[in-house]
Amino acid sequence: MLLSVENLEVKYGNIQPLHGISFHVNEGEIVTLIGANGAGKTTSLYSICRLAPPEAPRVIAGDIKFRGESILKTRPSDVVKKLKMALVPEGRHIFGNLTVMENLELATYSRERDADLKTEYQRIFDLFPRLHERRKQRSESLSGGEQQMLAVGRAMMTGCNFLLLDEPSMGLAPRLKYDLFRTLKKLNEEGMTILLVEQNAHLALHLAHRGYVLDTGKLAAAGSSKDLLGNPDVKKAYLGG
Amino acid sequence: MLATIIQNLINALQWGSFYALIALGYTLVYGVLTLINFAHGDIFMVGAYIAFFVATFFLTTAELPGWAALALTIPLTMILTSMVGVALERVAYRPLRRKGANRLYVVITALMCGLILENANLALLGASRKAFPPMITEHVYNIGGVIFTDLKIAVIVTTILAFFVLHKIVTKTRVGMAMRAISYDKFAVPLMGIPMDNIIVITFVLGSGMAGLAGIMFAMSYPILEPYMGALIGWKAFIAAVVGGIGDIRGAFLGGFLLGAVEILVVAFFPSTFRDLIAFTVLLVILAFRPTGLFGVAKTTKI
Ligand SMILES: Nc1ncnc2c1ncn2[C@@H]1O[C@H](COP(=O)(O)OP(=O)(O)O)[C@@H](O)[C@H]1O
Ligand SMILES: [Mg+2]
Repeated sequence: MLLSVENLEVKYGNIQPLHGISFHVNEGEIVTLIGANGAGKTTSLYSICRLAPPEAPRVIAGDIKFRGESILKTRPSDVVKKLKMALVPEGRHIFGNLTVMENLELATYSRERDADLKTEYQRIFDLFPRLHERRKQRSESLSGGEQQMLAVGRAMMTGCNFLLLDEPSMGLAPRLKYDLFRTLKKLNEEGMTILLVEQNAHLALHLAHRGYVLDTGKLAAAGSSKDLLGNPDVKKAYLGG
Repeated sequence: MLATIIQNLINALQWGSFYALIALGYTLVYGVLTLINFAHGDIFMVGAYIAFFVATFFLTTAELPGWAALALTIPLTMILTSMVGVALERVAYRPLRRKGANRLYVVITALMCGLILENANLALLGASRKAFPPMITEHVYNIGGVIFTDLKIAVIVTTILAFFVLHKIVTKTRVGMAMRAISYDKFAVPLMGIPMDNIIVITFVLGSGMAGLAGIMFAMSYPILEPYMGALIGWKAFIAAVVGGIGDIRGAFLGGFLLGAVEILVVAFFPSTFRDLIAFTVLLVILAFRPTGLFGVAKTTKI
């Protein structure tokens, strides 16, 4: 097991958005976390990435383990540097005052100086040719879709082998959505482990191997994507009948 | 006529150099943390005192020749002054940041830190002024009626060099990129594997180091030190940073020289008691027309 979340309970001040949830991700898998708005999906990802309050919650019970060891004391920058997990956050959070290329370069901050970055930049540009065209532009000027590509490319440049994505399809035109999901599939085939949070349950379950359904801070269902797609309750609540 | 202009220009650049160097520290910290570090003028004062002790040690205890003492005093003063800035960050600002304290409390903390530095100095060293020991003999030159010293020229050249080094760091290095990234979106910085506190420490090191450099050069140019020497010049440098567009290092640099020029010009035409009155009025007028400062283009463009 690469990552396991065990009976996790967290709080923002007095608000408790997670009431003891458990799930895990194996190496090489695509796992999806689906659920309605406010279910606690983003909160789960922030907790895993060990981000600090006030944006992120504090853990009050349960554990988060990476290869069997608790990471509750790990610094957020070490989640990236040492555990090689990178988050593509909801709302993208790209650095609009930096150019596209600077955003990518900045993501290599914690990496070895002698790493072969050239081929990695090239790989990002092969996946997202638009970014190459716009590499010298201030990233503020990118379209929403391009910003999402940059957010994914930037996460990859951290040298991660575990990608966490928070609603990457939000605000994308259908074509771009499919392109993005195809790219994720390709990355996974090349060895990237993926934890995907989505409101678009259909798309997510068709990409993922397994899934968990979150409902107001509790697990409502879990299983292989095929089982979840066939589960009548899940169908009714999240797949539009 | 031409000689007068050049004379005033040299004076303006030299006087503006101190403002520019100190303003850089205000603007760096503001750009990264949106924190107005009101203790920064007093860090400049501490820098001058550190230079005093370091220079005295090298000249009298170690009995080094003047040029060697100078060559050692500059880097050592900058390093020690940086450490004062970093200490302030650690004991005063970081705990407030951790607690997510309101901006008002942070500003008041900064003001108090400045007062503590002044009064600690007063308590430890007494109210008597200190005479800065001369390390090198100044030479006076007269070229076509323009009178200047080698020290004046050295101050100007050093300040310009310091600016270019800082500009390079901010625009070209990964640390500089991280500083700009924090100013835009703090939340996402750790997601890039960047330990935010390290970047903040580096920011304070750079800003306080510049104040230390200003401290030595000021002490060499006007060799009388007293505990309140950083207060007024600190306020003026802060205003220079705001007029330049706080958060933008080019703005701090330009604002500093602009203030220096205005002051020198005022003194050239009016009694010197008018200096601050007219200088501040001019700055107020500039701000009235450009409230975001000369370089303050968009709110997002910081550092
Ligand atoms: N910073 C915060 N402070 C307080 N409450 C929050 C914060 N962020 C999220 N919440 C609350 O936590 C719950 C879960 O939110 P979230 O994890 O963002 O849900 P999802 O990503 O599944 O839409 C919601 O009720 C939300 O209002
Ligand atoms: Mg969310």
